[in-house]
Amino acid sequence: MNEIEIALFLESGVRLGIPLALAALGETITERSGVINIGLEGSIIAGALGGAVGALAFGDPAVGVMAGALAGVAVAFVFAAFAIGLGTDQIITGTAITLGGLGLTGAVYQARFGATGTALTLPTLPSAPVPLLSDIPWIGGALFDQAPTAYVAYALAPALWYFLFRTAWGLELRAVGEAPIAAHAAGVRVRRVRFLATVFGGGLAGLAGAHLALAHAGTFAEGMSAGRGFIAIAVVVLGRWNPLLVLCAALFFGAASALQFFLQAFGFDAPYQLFLALPYVLTLAALAGWVGRSRAPAALALPWRSE
Amino acid sequence: MSEVLARLDGIERRFGSVVALDGADLILRAGEVHGLLGANGAGKTTLLNVIGGMLRPDAGTIEVGGSVVSFQTPREAWTCGIALAHQHFALVPAQSVLENLALGLARGWADPVRDVRAKALKLMDRIGLRVPLDSRVDHLGVGDKQRLEILKALLKNPRVLVLDEPTAVLAPNEISGLFALLRELAAEGRAVVLVAHKLDEVLMVADRLTVLRAGRTVLSTVPGDYEIPDLVRAMVGADPVDAIAIGVDVEPRSTKREPGESVAHLDRVSVTGGPGVDLEEVSLHVYRGQVVGVAGVEGNGQRSLALLLAGRVSATRGSVTLPEGLGFIPQDRSTEGLIAAFDLTDNVALALHRVAAYQDGPWLRWSELTRHAETIHERFEVQATSTSVLAGSLSGGNQQRVVVGRELSIATDLLIAENPTRGLDVAAAAFVHDEIRRLVATGVGVVLVSTDLDEVLALSDRVFAMTRGRLLEVDEGQRSREGVGALMLGGAFAHA
Repeated sequence: MNEIEIALFLESGVRLGIPLALAALGETITERSGVINIGLEGSIIAGALGGAVGALAFGDPAVGVMAGALAGVAVAFVFAAFAIGLGTDQIITGTAITLGGLGLTGAVYQARFGATGTALTLPTLPSAPVPLLSDIPWIGGALFDQAPTAYVAYALAPALWYFLFRTAWGLELRAVGEAPIAAHAAGVRVRRVRFLATVFGGGLAGLAGAHLALAHAGTFAEGMSAGRGFIAIAVVVLGRWNPLLVLCAALFFGAASALQFFLQAFGFDAPYQLFLALPYVLTLAALAGWVGRSRAPAALALPWRSE
Repeated sequence: MSEVLARLDGIERRFGSVVALDGADLILRAGEVHGLLGANGAGKTTLLNVIGGMLRPDAGTIEVGGSVVSFQTPREAWTCGIALAHQHFALVPAQSVLENLALGLARGWADPVRDVRAKALKLMDRIGLRVPLDSRVDHLGVGDKQRLEILKALLKNPRVLVLDEPTAVLAPNEISGLFALLRELAAEGRAVVLVAHKLDEVLMVADRLTVLRAGRTVLSTVPGDYEIPDLVRAMVGADPVDAIAIGVDVEPRSTKREPGESVAHLDRVSVTGGPGVDLEEVSLHVYRGQVVGVAGVEGNGQRSLALLLAGRVSATRGSVTLPEGLGFIPQDRSTEGLIAAFDLTDNVALALHRVAAYQDGPWLRWSELTRHAETIHERFEVQATSTSVLAGSLSGGNQQRVVVGRELSIATDLLIAENPTRGLDVAAAAFVHDEIRRLVATGVGVVLVSTDLDEVLALSDRVFAMTRGRLLEVDEGQRSREGVGALMLGGAFAHA
């Protein structure tokens, strides 16, 4: 690979990693509160559709981004109403939300835009190079010549880290995820915290979806979330529930996905399915070697009801 | 009479179909230490949780400082000046001591631990309870967790301090230290209410007593007005049966049972990486027909010792000889002893399914197992309608009867009993003690590992103290609460 190809590889790695980073950062907060939102995929696809509809209706991708985040919030709200409000099983509820989200967005898309097969063209979110930073050799262009949503992810990682580990609210959130009985005894409203954390995670997943539609693809397609919700959940584990590491893990996964394209482009003679599997194989290896020593929040996926 | 800080009147509370409180009254006055007495299931913890805002009562009124209150959360209880130290510590294991102290105190965007550190250090200096502030809670011993739970309550500077079983895991001199502190706090004009499972402990410190039975206040008095047997009768509604369980006038065993042949042997055994501290070079012979008692403050390695003798963990170094017919009564019947979602027959089968008499090739003889479960049900007077009820639906005492019955039936050579009466009421504890005595008389060797010194002293032929992973035999002359207590704490001065 020459210099340009490496720069291109890094750029596409970051580009593929950003939606994962957004969704995984949100899920980090959700899981730290003791809720595992398998319905994340539903929020992402809703965010993509919401982003497309919003951007088209107002002709402004920025409005699309907001609409996408709101759509993600709405889906997470439904999940939270069942899983936290009614205490239903989080895994089953989340799976239903994902499947429902994929189906419903497909139906809405067809009702709104028809099933003609012509791809929708959306006003896209242009990349906004950061002055100075984007001139750094090698990584400058990759990291700092991206859509504005990417900078949201960069800013959120340290901000969420600070929130989790340096503020009283963060302490309460972590306590709710580790030992809800102790949090309750300390006067924390366990279910309210979980509700807010879940809805926040849904909002970021919606943002990830809007990024996919508006910055990445420039169009909406049914099922375009393509399993990213599940990958984001794996990224949270890979990043050990720590926002800073989660951002790194998302970029790592993005790079692994980019590598797959490059290896194919450079004519390695192997079935392309093997390349497609590469990021997942790397993730499994990383999980086995590294995350083995860390531990999920103790009350993850356990419903809570004060007596 | 001094000012009433809190008054609970006619409190009722049920959990599903179980009535936990059925008209409980309690009056807490400034300057008084109030002892709350009652057998298991009398509703003591439920009542304390109602005072502390953890539970909302179904009926009844709570008055604080003369006005009626209704707590939606524990935070509302603190703002009324009430703080509760929980029996099963309400701590976050994966967080530091400091973070646990800060939880709920700091709010919003503030750095939660900065202010709390200074406050905690000041409080620890003042009252003399010390906990390492930067350790993670799951690395603390159970005594430190108890101290932390008390500190956490005191940090809220409450006018009413509520302590649920604070003494169960503390050594004798720590208990007297705690009681001195409670007296001081009361002298400052606070009200203190505490539950302790030893009657004589409560009598040592309380200015006033309330006795609960079956969720109802049956007696409210001052110490001295009633003799101990009368208090016990108020608690259990019947004549007291077992002095050990209530901690009254226990004499160490004076007559020694004659030892039979050796039935289990540890030879300079070390265990690393187990719960609590590592075992170091522990040697022990257990003889048939004798009870070996092991006392110690929790976390000093006796859990590893019990698991080792029960064959549940293996030695890192040294040799272990164990017999075939081995029964093990683990300390936590609800998680280790039984599977709550299994019925009694299944739970009995869990221990017996490897015994040849219950096997038929690859199949189990379920009719035999059922008959065996029924025998236990009858002989051990388990309060259950049949052997097909779920173990989780039984009370703690009845669960323990099932565990004891099952383990006694396989302990033909050796029984390991780990805190076998913890959390049991007087009648259930007496039953367990009687069964252990009966078993020993049949020539089985018994190892009793217990944090309850009185139990160890009363049942054992030989007494050991466990301290920092070492096992020290207690001389005949030292067999008293004070003597063994000193050994438990000051292992460094003891002879090995």
